[in-house]
Amino acid sequence: MSENPHPSTARTIATLIVHYPKTQVAISLLLMIALFMALPMLYKDTRSDAFLADDNPALVYRDKVKEQFGLSDPIVLAVINTSDSGVFNPTSLSLIQWLSDEISSLDNINTDRMTSLATENNITGSDEGMDVEPFFEAGISTQQDADIVWNKVSDFPLYMGNLVAHDKQATLIVAELLDVKQVEDTFQKILNIVDRAPNGKYDEIHVAGEGAIAGYLGSYIDADAQRLNPLAGIIITIIILFAFRRVSTGILSNVIIAASVLMTLSIMALNGIPFFVITNALPVILIGISVADSIHIYSHYFELQAKHPAEDKKELIIQTVEEMWRPITLTTLTTIAGFMGMYFAAYMPPFKYFGLYTAIGVAIAWFYSLVFLPAALAITKPSASKQMASLTQSNQLDRFSRTMVVLGRISLQNPKVTVGLFSTIIISGIFATGHLVVNEDRIKTFHTSETLYQADAAINAHLNGTNNLDVVIEAKEAEALFEPEHLKKMEALQNFALTLPNVQGAASIVDYLKQMNRSLNGGDKYSYQLPDDKALIAQYFLIYSASSDPTDFDEEIDYDYRIANIKLTLNKGGYVDTQETVTQLNYYIKTQFNNKDITATLSGRVNINYHWIKDLGSSHFVGLAISMFLVWAVASLLFGSLTAGTFTIIPVSSSILLVYSAMVVLDIDLGIGTSMFASVAIGLGVDFSIHTIDRLRSLYQAHNGDWNLTLQELYPSTGRALFLNYMAIACGFGVLISSKVVPLNNFGTIVVVSVSTSFLASMSFLPALIKLTKPRFISGYQPSKKTMSSRWIRIPSVIFLVAVAGGVLVNQPALASEGATAKTTVPNNQLPSADVVIANINRVDDGEHATRNLTMTLIDKRGKKRVRETIGYRKYFGKEKRTILFYKKPTNVKGTAFLTFDYPDAAKDDDQWLYLPALRKVRRISAADRGDYFLGTDFTYEDIKLEGKVDSKDYDFKTIRSEALAQESSPPIQTVVIRGTAKNNVIAKELGYGKTEFWVNVETWLIAKSIYWDTKGKLLKTLTISDVSRIDGILTRHRMTINNHKTGHTSEFLFSSVDYKAPVSDGLFTKRAMKKGK
Amino acid sequence: MKTSPLVMRIQLGLFLSFSVLVLPSFIFPSVAIADYSASLEQELALDSSDHKQKFETLFTPEWNIELSDNISMTFIGHARWDNTKKLSNPASSHYSAPDSYATGNGPLYSSDSSEVSIREWYIDTESLGAYWRIGKQQVVWGQADGLKVLDVVNPQNYREFILDDFEDSRIPLWMVNTEIPIGENSNLQILWIPDLTYHAFAESGTEYEVSSPLFRPALPQGVPLLGFHEDKPSSPIKDSDFGVQYTTFYQGWDLTLNYLYHYQDTPVLYQQIGANGVSLSSEYERNHLAGFTASNAFGSFTLRTEVGYSSDTYHLNRSQPNQTPTNKGIHQSSEVSSVIGLDWQGLKDTMMSIQWFQSHLTKHNTDVVRPQNNHILSLLLKRSFINETWELEILALHGFDQQDGSIQSKLRYMLESDLSLWVGSDAFYGRKEGLFGQFNNKDRVLFGVEWSF
Repeated sequence: MSENPHPSTARTIATLIVHYPKTQVAISLLLMIALFMALPMLYKDTRSDAFLADDNPALVYRDKVKEQFGLSDPIVLAVINTSDSGVFNPTSLSLIQWLSDEISSLDNINTDRMTSLATENNITGSDEGMDVEPFFEAGISTQQDADIVWNKVSDFPLYMGNLVAHDKQATLIVAELLDVKQVEDTFQKILNIVDRAPNGKYDEIHVAGEGAIAGYLGSYIDADAQRLNPLAGIIITIIILFAFRRVSTGILSNVIIAASVLMTLSIMALNGIPFFVITNALPVILIGISVADSIHIYSHYFELQAKHPAEDKKELIIQTVEEMWRPITLTTLTTIAGFMGMYFAAYMPPFKYFGLYTAIGVAIAWFYSLVFLPAALAITKPSASKQMASLTQSNQLDRFSRTMVVLGRISLQNPKVTVGLFSTIIISGIFATGHLVVNEDRIKTFHTSETLYQADAAINAHLNGTNNLDVVIEAKEAEALFEPEHLKKMEALQNFALTLPNVQGAASIVDYLKQMNRSLNGGDKYSYQLPDDKALIAQYFLIYSASSDPTDFDEEIDYDYRIANIKLTLNKGGYVDTQETVTQLNYYIKTQFNNKDITATLSGRVNINYHWIKDLGSSHFVGLAISMFLVWAVASLLFGSLTAGTFTIIPVSSSILLVYSAMVVLDIDLGIGTSMFASVAIGLGVDFSIHTIDRLRSLYQAHNGDWNLTLQELYPSTGRALFLNYMAIACGFGVLISSKVVPLNNFGTIVVVSVSTSFLASMSFLPALIKLTKPRFISGYQPSKKTMSSRWIRIPSVIFLVAVAGGVLVNQPALASEGATAKTTVPNNQLPSADVVIANINRVDDGEHATRNLTMTLIDKRGKKRVRETIGYRKYFGKEKRTILFYKKPTNVKGTAFLTFDYPDAAKDDDQWLYLPALRKVRRISAADRGDYFLGTDFTYEDIKLEGKVDSKDYDFKTIRSEALAQESSPPIQTVVIRGTAKNNVIAKELGYGKTEFWVNVETWLIAKSIYWDTKGKLLKTLTISDVSRIDGILTRHRMTINNHKTGHTSEFLFSSVDYKAPVSDGLFTKRAMKKGK
Repeated sequence: MKTSPLVMRIQLGLFLSFSVLVLPSFIFPSVAIADYSASLEQELALDSSDHKQKFETLFTPEWNIELSDNISMTFIGHARWDNTKKLSNPASSHYSAPDSYATGNGPLYSSDSSEVSIREWYIDTESLGAYWRIGKQQVVWGQADGLKVLDVVNPQNYREFILDDFEDSRIPLWMVNTEIPIGENSNLQILWIPDLTYHAFAESGTEYEVSSPLFRPALPQGVPLLGFHEDKPSSPIKDSDFGVQYTTFYQGWDLTLNYLYHYQDTPVLYQQIGANGVSLSSEYERNHLAGFTASNAFGSFTLRTEVGYSSDTYHLNRSQPNQTPTNKGIHQSSEVSSVIGLDWQGLKDTMMSIQWFQSHLTKHNTDVVRPQNNHILSLLLKRSFINETWELEILALHGFDQQDGSIQSKLRYMLESDLSLWVGSDAFYGRKEGLFGQFNNKDRVLFGVEWSF
């Protein structure tokens, strides 16, 4: 089959692969496995902030504002009651009280920042000046009392619409988080509270807000991806099995899929690139692409095998590689070019990385298809299915080929009609492009049947809205905001904002001052205005702070009255709904507000969203242009003809333009999900035309320039392979259509439409066009080895260089921004010093020896449990502590034993042994890595060894506050909180903890709760201890729950039958006992 | 000597009496003295041309029974069923145990597709200042993984060459095992093994039948094979094995000294040339094995060493055309073997282990098929993911002398506490003549599931 008398380079390499197949397979698999090791390092980042670079000015400013006013994306609960009295009835009000109490008792809720009817204060005038009192206290029992509350609230304009609906029927509970990274967990806990809330008959509770969206989005998309990815894999495997009727083909394709998907994710992990929301589409895309390469190899090989059943199979594999490496490499290069276009054009990090890593995945799939697959085929040596062999030998076609031949006949008989049809598509597509709408609305990510979606709709219907836009007012001098002139400007700005579309509410310190002014003027409605006098305003603040909590205004104004925040509320969050508001506000601020003394800046969620969507449209088209150009350039270079390059991109162009038309007709916006389609469509769609053109060239040679025969012959072989290729991709992406994540669903639909069009165009439009034009790049093609090979060297090296340069620029490890999580702490001299506390902890008696049953429950993030039951013994030999643990259940770990000698000399490593019943051998294991996880749990070896004690050599300790720590099923306990900072980086690395804080019960000196941060300062784990009781006079911890926030995994240790009196034999701590299992 | 139906009946009788003993614990679960657990395993192996090599069901029930405060009994049963019949030869194994089993060992029932046996059955007790374990059991000596220097107390079943788990392929023996504690850190183990069971090799015509000239004598050309004679030790007293192991822990080192007086588990194949042809006789030979092990941990490394000296080992000579084989085709020498292994646990959830195995014949000449020195390198990688939900294990063995080796890998997923699934692959490479290379075309892919309860 080789056209050259000398063996080609491809043949030489293929021969090498086929003759040492096991080495190749082993190397490929080892490479794969070596990279998989990095996979656990991959972490998720589903925040919408992740869409902007960490140094984006809008994001930086927003974070500054957040810190200034302690604002964060809240979780919002709405209580809605459609009865006559609305929520102002005794039951609903008690419910609001109950919900507020329950939610503020959660760990991650900022109690100072809860806003609800039950926490807010009313301002009224009184004899002494001003009264600041809660709207209601516990125990509203009559409708009369409830009506009084309504009268108070409805008389406070600031809260109307913002906190309570004008029609009485709804009110909000707004909860802000301490650590936004724990939002998923907190969201789930809030849902649990809602489940057991004492609802009245007409009460409905909704949970919404940006915090809730972020909290739910992660698990929502995860669940979806976990369903979709295997489904795509299974469908594609079925197609392959059906087409080739060999089990091994399915298995081998799956190895290539695994290599391409998992190795890519591993490389992401190694580079510290997180798994973003849109990364969920990456596996599906790679599944489709990587399987296409193997389909072409299989098709060709089985075709040869069916034609020449007697030929040595290794020789056939070599021939297959020799024939197919070129088109496969071509398509890989153009696909990479397409995705690199996305990489170069995208400004949002998730998209950049998506382009880059998909390109890497495609390259991996190429390598495994051309190296691993031939080697594996050389081992399994499959024969073509009987059906295929008999069809080939009798010169018949199977149904795939027959379908393609019919398609060929139709389009080639009427080439002008075919060309005309596609030209119409192209022209209408160009027209449609002008009508595309760029839009994105996070809430629309969710299916309309999701409770979150409905909650959002309900709140937006009753109240001012769930979307926030902050205007930060900054004056030059301290106390400048006492100036009536400045306050008037703020008021004007607020009034202007309220005229803008979708702005429903505005609140700032101005409204409080107006309310105070009114209260102090006997509640006169006409006094609801700003006082005119600077001194008076200053006095108001003073009076207020005298009568209530001085921190009440933290969200509105800073402590030296220089910076203030105006909070605008919008009832719609989509880009098209908010874009005008943001631009108009910006214009107003620039022209009417800003002067040398005072300035305003926009911030908040709506502003951030505006910033990350505003360039989406241009980015999409620039990316499209770059991708198209790269693909065109690569194809032109490879085919050695500019016309060929142009022909290559014609089918793809028509498919993209058709998609634009479809989007306009179906009213689909160009958003995050949909904007990604173009690069994908180019990368995948261009493959069809490349295979077509490449094959036509060799067929033209083979048929000595007979155009009709050349075009006819295309369909049964290449047509069949491309059809299978198309089916695999279409089904792979088709799976996305079943996605509940709306953008993924749209994305899947669009890609299927575009890939179908590309395929059809390559199989009908392109041949028809070629038939009409008879281009020279086909008829004039002379295979010349030299020019080809030099091209082959040139093109990959260009792409490689570009990729490396790009890689260097991008691969700056993503900076982790840590939210301000620490509570403000007041130094208190009465707190015990850390040294004393540590000494007390370590002095707690834990018995000379102990026997206990320990049940370990390991719970993964999806709630799946594994349970292990053990019996443990501990005994002091002088100062040396020996511990042994025997596994009893389940059967697959039964008999495992773990023995430790812990020496008092810190410099001396512990001695540890593990007995594995499967090996029947006691194995010495190294004990140096105390930060390693203990036998699959979330505790480290060090945690286990210390048994609740503290090693003062590892940390510098500081007492930071005292706190009443709430308990699940008992009254709160009084604790002191100690913060330990690892003494140096080496110790931190060893322990796996950079910082820890623990809550020490001041009565028992037992640690009741600990939080651990990793070496980078990210929140890592939370440990809670409960069920503490005295056994044989010794304080014993019965339940320890440790939650790993990074992995979502939880381990629960439950101690039972604890006994400090029963004698523990020395003989238990021996290797003999390990072997005997007791 | 085939296991007679009588012997099978004796074992069956023992088994039934055991069942009667255990029965009450089923009838009166509240007064149960027995702790019962079991595992059910199903494994499918496909060879490199997509054909089923095995589709095996394993059932392993286990009872632990406290007979009194001081006496406990363990019974482990074993049932295997595999209708693929590629690992057993229907012609040679119908309703009989393989020849290498002694009376009283071997399966209770066996056919070409199934086997039922008492895997282990022993009593533990403490008396006379010593710990006693009496009955059918496994004793493992040594520190090496996968390569055997001192781990020769129990013979092995090579039905699946070395691919089966050692736990399943090691053949338990009836023996008396005494451990006497000496001081706080030392221990003396004494073994008396009257069970005359030896290695069970893959039956002829099955997948893993040995073909390497290292183990199969090549007969002189043109000389007809007259007969095959098997000779097995037969006196449980005179022919029993005897072993001692002294274990101690000193300055952080785990040390053992070992001595075993035993019959080697591989028969020696002597050739006798007569006037009309050659006859083969298979005989088992005695050996003194002395050795020691030492291991210790240094930082994240663990060092394991194992050394053994065998007084008498027997190796095949090359056959010379038309020449009477010297010494009946067998070369006798003493042998020194050792393993040095280094484990590294520096990476989270990961263990890497490298072992260097060498064996040296003190006497050697050019006729001997095996080289004077033999070297094998092994590389083991184990890694778990997501709190041990996933577990990956890769073991590669490479023999330097034949330039051959094997690579085994297994990925296991714990679906539930008691349900795990795995896929794996076993591959060999190298020349046909090598230990591993002889199975070059026996690569396979495995899929398995294990349910324990």
